[in-house]
Amino acid sequence: MSDARAAHPGLYRIDQNPPSLLGQRCAACGRLAFPPNPYGCEGCGAEADELVTEEIPGDGELAAFATVHLHPGKDIETPFTVGTVVLDAGPTVRATLTCATDDGLAIGNRVHTQLVPQQSEDDGELLELRFAVEKS
Amino acid sequence: MPKTLRDLRPVRVIGIGLHPYQRASDTSYVTLGLRAVREALTDAGVAWTDVEAAYNGTALLGMAPTRAMLRHLGATGLPVLQVENASASGSSAVAQASLAVASGVCDVALAMGVDKPGMMNVASAKAGVRDLSGSRILPFTHFALLANEYMRRHGARPEHLAQVAVKNSRNGAHNPYAQRQKARSLEEVLAPPFISGSLTRLQCCPIGEGAAAVIIASDDAIRRLGVPADRAPRILASVTRSERVYEGARNFDAELTRETTAQAYEEAGVGPEDLDLIELHDAFAIEELLYVEAMGLCAEGEGAAMLMKGDTDIGGRCAVSTSGGLLAMGHPIGPTGVGQICEITRQLRGEAGPRQQPDARTGLVHMVGIGAVCVAHVLQL
Ligand SMILES: [Zn+2]
Repeated sequence: MSDARAAHPGLYRIDQNPPSLLGQRCAACGRLAFPPNPYGCEGCGAEADELVTEEIPGDGELAAFATVHLHPGKDIETPFTVGTVVLDAGPTVRATLTCATDDGLAIGNRVHTQLVPQQSEDDGELLELRFAVEKS
Repeated sequence: MPKTLRDLRPVRVIGIGLHPYQRASDTSYVTLGLRAVREALTDAGVAWTDVEAAYNGTALLGMAPTRAMLRHLGATGLPVLQVENASASGSSAVAQASLAVASGVCDVALAMGVDKPGMMNVASAKAGVRDLSGSRILPFTHFALLANEYMRRHGARPEHLAQVAVKNSRNGAHNPYAQRQKARSLEEVLAPPFISGSLTRLQCCPIGEGAAAVIIASDDAIRRLGVPADRAPRILASVTRSERVYEGARNFDAELTRETTAQAYEEAGVGPEDLDLIELHDAFAIEELLYVEAMGLCAEGEGAAMLMKGDTDIGGRCAVSTSGGLLAMGHPIGPTGVGQICEITRQLRGEAGPRQQPDARTGLVHMVGIGAVCVAHVLQL
């Protein structure tokens, strides 16, 4: 695991289980945002030096899900399932779920972040962040 | 105080023309575009030399396509401008042409759209802000997620969403310009292949090629050129907005449409109860339900019930997408918003034949573009 890297560097930690997301808190207006950006606050326009990195615990609630059958990339095989997650800390994020299909999923299910090695990666291990669903 | 379009001199649509929307072919964009413009000129009964400015909505053709096309009508030296606003490019061309005529800097302007399928080179991918979903959540999955949330919240079923495509395919079957001209049954719409979530292929719009054109003119020009005023609906409002931060809102697309159309109603001096017909951005079936609610045609969650009652059918209280909408007429990107203006104009004139909405007087036109932007126009005759 020593050469493991994040598939999306800067968006989450890979040295924790479950991993935290890396968001930004605006020092000017207090808005907590994800994903982070190097430019400025969408809420109030404060410049990037006002945006302070803040770890966001990877726990939340499933607000919507969809199983994707058509995908142009080679990074994942179809079908896979994506979800809209409202994090307990506030921000809404969308990401791949650990389950391939929507079998047994329900809106309102609790979800938690999980690192998953990305498939067909031959140059060191790439860890991507997905959400695991506690099915009711 | 800033002025709205209605505070300026009246602008009217005097001519409409289209090249049928179709699957990608080896037809050049020049052929597509010229057919639409020539048809619009003939419809208006004006000459190309009467047109003083041209705005061309296009997103996929590349740099500087417009003069290379329009010169074949005779190179009059008129100002030409490409207008790119994603799926709302054509709508934004209409907005620019309307403002040019309303302001008085010209009397007759062409707004058109032409596109052929090509690389979707979306700049936000180069903005240096990555998210977790990347290419795994393309527009069809974005709307599949909204569909999932909508069905759960309002107790709607996949059959209700599919019914949008059934209605719009029925309308498109009467539209010779539509890419899909076949009326589909509920069973056909619900049949695989599934694209994403509950969305099947026929609940996703076809992206092909085509062109649409409208001639927009002032009352001065209408008198001078002898254009029949009873075929020339007025553009009462033209509103463009972009997405804000809707803190706590579930559905940003619905919020953006809500505030854009609310502003259009206010500027036009009409309300949703005054609308006889709407052309809206139904790239995916769920969108029609989200937007008719956001437009205030019914309460939130009642879009499916309104559809099932036939209120949005031709002959219903407010016909939605008599053209077939993006789902049946198609969505060639640049032309789409202009084609919607063509449809509403044809309807308001009472010239829509088998798909005519009876006694149509006031219509709303609505497009959304990725990013997100929203453009709305209100037309009245
Ligand atoms: Zn801020």
